[in-house]
Amino acid sequence: MIEVRNLSKHFGSHRAVDNISFTVNEGEIVGFLGPNGAGKTTTLRILTCYMPATAGSATIAGYDVLTESMKVRAVVGYLPESVPLYPEMRTREYLRFRGKLHGLNKLAREAAIARVIERCWLHEVIDRPIGQLSRGFRQRVGLADALLHNPRVLVLDEPTVGLDPAQIRATRSLIRELAQEHTVILSSHILPEVEATCQRLIIINEGRLVASGTPDELRERITGQASLIAELKAPRRDVVDALQKLTGVTDVSGQMQDGWTRVNIATDQDVREDIAQLAANKNWPLRELRRDIATLEDFFVKIVAGTR
Amino acid sequence: MRNARAIMQRELLSLFCSPIGYIVIAGFLFVTGLSVLVSGSFAPGKPATLREVFFWTPWLLTVIVPAISMRTICEEYRNGTIETLMTTPLSDLQMVLGKYLASLVFFIIMLAPTLAYLILMEIYGNPDWGASLSAYLGLLLIGVAFTAFGLFASSLTSNQVVAWMLGSIPLLIFACLAYFIIGHVEGIWRLIFQQVNVIGRFDEFSRGLVTTDGVVFFLAAAALFLFLTVKVVESRRWR
Repeated sequence: MIEVRNLSKHFGSHRAVDNISFTVNEGEIVGFLGPNGAGKTTTLRILTCYMPATAGSATIAGYDVLTESMKVRAVVGYLPESVPLYPEMRTREYLRFRGKLHGLNKLAREAAIARVIERCWLHEVIDRPIGQLSRGFRQRVGLADALLHNPRVLVLDEPTVGLDPAQIRATRSLIRELAQEHTVILSSHILPEVEATCQRLIIINEGRLVASGTPDELRERITGQASLIAELKAPRRDVVDALQKLTGVTDVSGQMQDGWTRVNIATDQDVREDIAQLAANKNWPLRELRRDIATLEDFFVKIVAGTR
Repeated sequence: MRNARAIMQRELLSLFCSPIGYIVIAGFLFVTGLSVLVSGSFAPGKPATLREVFFWTPWLLTVIVPAISMRTICEEYRNGTIETLMTTPLSDLQMVLGKYLASLVFFIIMLAPTLAYLILMEIYGNPDWGASLSAYLGLLLIGVAFTAFGLFASSLTSNQVVAWMLGSIPLLIFACLAYFIIGHVEGIWRLIFQQVNVIGRFDEFSRGLVTTDGVVFFLAAAALFLFLTVKVVESRRWR
């Protein structure tokens, strides 16, 4: 649905987006993750035809964002980060105006407005001036606007920033619902945010793509190289020596307390079975054996810190 | 065209929602009313004409018209709403045209009440309708050209006050320069200033002289600045 190839955007000498490639399939809900200033908004702005790329290309639903801009705009619903709205207009007036711009005739427009009011719970503010609305309602009006023409692709830039926890939960579940009918790409700098809503994550930092995959795949990648923890009743030296002889173990460190040796085993494969076997053979009591499961958060922080 | 109309309607709604619109109309009507009073156009024995009033109006319009159009484009940049506009199926030309037409419609609404003076003259005297209508055509053409310039000024900045100054100061200087300098230069310069003398050109209209090159001058100026506005809006994408 979305195809991005070697996309770059330079502002003067600053590389906001540096050679990014990824694809988003139809019906997918993809999280675009990165710290502030990573180039998320710039990438989304290129995808929504707000600004042209310096190099590379992107297509949405088969249309090129530069050469077939109008067709792309017709299939994309976009919620910009700052949720820009006209404060002097009433919600209904605003949605009518937006409907006209999307080429909806009067009948289709009113039907679409009724649909998005329902979807985004706008009943109570539909006749109020937008300037008087709270941040949460403004966000919903922006979302309603993005949904108005029933776009095939939804691009949401930081859709939950500035909302209170209850609103964040409501927005998340709304986004998950929307993903049944639309392809969604949303950006965030908060990991639990995208982990909770997205099927796939794309992590970028300083304009470069650093990792992508489903949350499970990414977790797999970390735990693959993560450490094991074991606690055995045996002298420290014996335990460390024995463990080091196991294939796949790269480093062992341990300390002894009350006759129990607690070891940290660095390994690139899962050797828990071998450890259990070893303990049984040597007749060492084993009271703990587990993989030290790193959270995605650790991974995210590590990746971001690592590329810096 | 439907897109341009949608933009125009929204723009007019905003103009009439903000105090700026009413202040501009009130200011314009107050000053024209004052000039009717001061010029003594309704004094007994005077010819039933608004020529003296019309003499001052173009000067007034150099500051009034940019005030109408100052917020059109710059407000979109300040508000960030330009981002939602430029990501809907709306071309830059449609957006500029919509905003232009809104400012022009507002200008006409502002101008319309001054017809009351003409009607009063019809009641109490016998005005020269031909000259009066051609003067109104001249005012309209000034509006057509000045609005395009005001829009251009508005596209250059995201600050309303700056947009107003960028619009009105060059217009005022330009009008003054062409009008006052024309008697002091010779040769080619004189020819050039004769061509671009806004006030002089309007003067022809207020005397009842509708010339093709007068009409073309104002329309061409409008086309030029609308074209430049579209180019400025387009170029701001690339920054």
